[in-house]
Amino acid sequence: MALVIVSALLAKTLRSSTFKHALLAIVVFGAFVIALFGYVYFSADSFVRSQTDRTIAAEYEILRKTYESGGRGGLVALIKKRIANRPIEGSLYLLADASFVPLAGNLSVWPSALRGPKGWENFSAPEWQPDRTSRPPLRATFETLPNADHLLVGLEIDDLSKFSKEIRAALIWVGALIFVLAGMASILITRRTVGRIEAINSTSRAIMESGLDKRIPLRGTHDEWDQVAESLNLMLDRIETLMGEVIQVTDNVAHDLRTPLTRMRGRLEQAYHRQRDSDYDHSLISDTIADLDAVLRIFSSLTRISQIEANAQKAAFRTVNLAEIANEIVELFDAAAEEKGGRLSLVGGQSVLVTGDRDLLFDAVANLVDNAIKHGRAAGQVIVRITNRKGGAVISVADDGPGIPADEYLNVFKRFYRLERSRHTPGNGLGLSLVDAVVRLHRARIEILDNLPGLKIRIRFPASTKSGLENRSVPMSCT
Amino acid sequence: MTGGRRRVLIVEDDPEAAGQIVDALTKNGYEVDLATNGNHALRLGRSTEYAVMTIDRMLPDIDGLSVMRNLREGGVVAPVLIISALGELDDRVRGLRAGGDDYLVKPFAFVELVARIEALARRSAIVVKETVLRAGDLELDLVSRTATRLGREIKLLPREFQLLEYFVRNEGHVVSRAMLLQHVWDLHFDPTTNIIDVYVGRVRRKVDGRRDYPLIHTVRGVGYCVRAPR
Repeated sequence: MALVIVSALLAKTLRSSTFKHALLAIVVFGAFVIALFGYVYFSADSFVRSQTDRTIAAEYEILRKTYESGGRGGLVALIKKRIANRPIEGSLYLLADASFVPLAGNLSVWPSALRGPKGWENFSAPEWQPDRTSRPPLRATFETLPNADHLLVGLEIDDLSKFSKEIRAALIWVGALIFVLAGMASILITRRTVGRIEAINSTSRAIMESGLDKRIPLRGTHDEWDQVAESLNLMLDRIETLMGEVIQVTDNVAHDLRTPLTRMRGRLEQAYHRQRDSDYDHSLISDTIADLDAVLRIFSSLTRISQIEANAQKAAFRTVNLAEIANEIVELFDAAAEEKGGRLSLVGGQSVLVTGDRDLLFDAVANLVDNAIKHGRAAGQVIVRITNRKGGAVISVADDGPGIPADEYLNVFKRFYRLERSRHTPGNGLGLSLVDAVVRLHRARIEILDNLPGLKIRIRFPASTKSGLENRSVPMSCT
Repeated sequence: MTGGRRRVLIVEDDPEAAGQIVDALTKNGYEVDLATNGNHALRLGRSTEYAVMTIDRMLPDIDGLSVMRNLREGGVVAPVLIISALGELDDRVRGLRAGGDDYLVKPFAFVELVARIEALARRSAIVVKETVLRAGDLELDLVSRTATRLGREIKLLPREFQLLEYFVRNEGHVVSRAMLLQHVWDLHFDPTTNIIDVYVGRVRRKVDGRRDYPLIHTVRGVGYCVRAPR
């Protein structure tokens, strides 16, 4: 029954990589355990064996000395005495004459296995100790004495082999137990891991099937699995927000495109039902082209923003001088400011280096300056300021116009968002979205501030190792 | 080799757009060959000498940029105008800037296309090292960077001088706003405002204000043209 459950669990978890790794670990660990136990077994066994041999050898030495001093008679007497006294449990003696006829000892027959002048042997003797039913294993040393008699001294080694067997059994059991426990532990761990992964998997499947509102359940243990689940949930939140924004933008695109497209359609329909009239046709066609251009401009602005946001443009990143860009923009827009009776001026360093895309930075700052001139006060002041602080380069564009209400600050970066009062000025509500995208691409931060009066937009670039050139002192040639 | 100064190759796979382009160029006095795919373009480009080639970035068989590279490797030196629908930020088209040839982003006005082709065709025709440029009574000294009309100096900012130089170099030809941004400011974006017009307006006041005749003319819907009366 247990086997069935284990095999069922195995079948489920066998494909898990965690289980495979656990199995590998068990194999390596098991090999070490077997090697260690083998070493323990063999060293214990040989230690006990050598102890036995030493006891036998010492006893033999005593008998041999008695033979040397007292001859066969003395030896027979000693053997009889030792058998009667039994100083050593399970000891074994036999003295036989040249033709192996026993003279003294507790073995009735010279064992047939023991032949030769001298040696050590393990054997079993049926005749020994008739009160015992078993035939215990024996170990003995033997020698042919100078008078051709044969002497044998030995020990019952039943205890020794029992000890060996017990050690062996214990080791096998412990080994088996370790394997079973390790196997069970790895199955449990695998089940747990597979369970957490399965939770993530099933949530992913549910999201694919039904939508982004599902989240991976947390266990509240704050372990690494909870952390993974939390990160994934955060990612899902972000994706959900982005999807929401995409839907919002799609709606806005649809609205902003439908308006001019409807206008064009109506115009063409009217023209279709009218008599051809070259003056009328001419103005109709040029109006339609202008409207189409506006639609196409929205498209290219949108693709531009999404291309920037897709972060694909870092290839064009190099060290650019922000001051130079600002200078060119001020020069380019100077005429436009002048036309409105205002002034556009640049304040700040000669060399403020940042890492970025010149075209995109130009585009972003040009957008800000364009906004400042367009939405600022007539005959107002627009100031582009560049500073190079320790924390990184900063560029700001400030006007002294009506500004925007503080509660609109965040909205202005949304695509297609336009303030109510600027609904009727030219523009498509994508300018600041583009600026925002460019700023984010450069890992910079954009801030909207009240210029008291007016609006000030500030872009702070991250600290760059390459800035600070303008601090280099230029030696004066004549003083 | 056949071909000539007014012969251009158009590589465009959309039949209607291709027809419109061929039409616009024929009206402007060009002899136009049309290739509808990359292989066709390679065949034509290798066998005929063209003044200019326009190649669409995305073709059904071979990428337009590969077609251009292939022709270049085969020794074809005619300037190429790459037409891309991928937008101004198409990295590979942006890379062309360094190569010297031009690119145009779809959709475009035909006048713009014709103006670009004119400019490229001229570029392949004249390589002159002048130090003084003239248009009517206007004189631009490229060394001292000064402009004079009838000997009277016109005070210009460096960028204004550059703008005027570009105009005069293209005397008699239409120059679009995008071309100005690209060649005078080295910018590749579409300004949503009339900033270029305002800028040109200021240069125009300096150059043409209170003179016998104007040099800078507006070409409706496209840009400008510098022309001196005959």
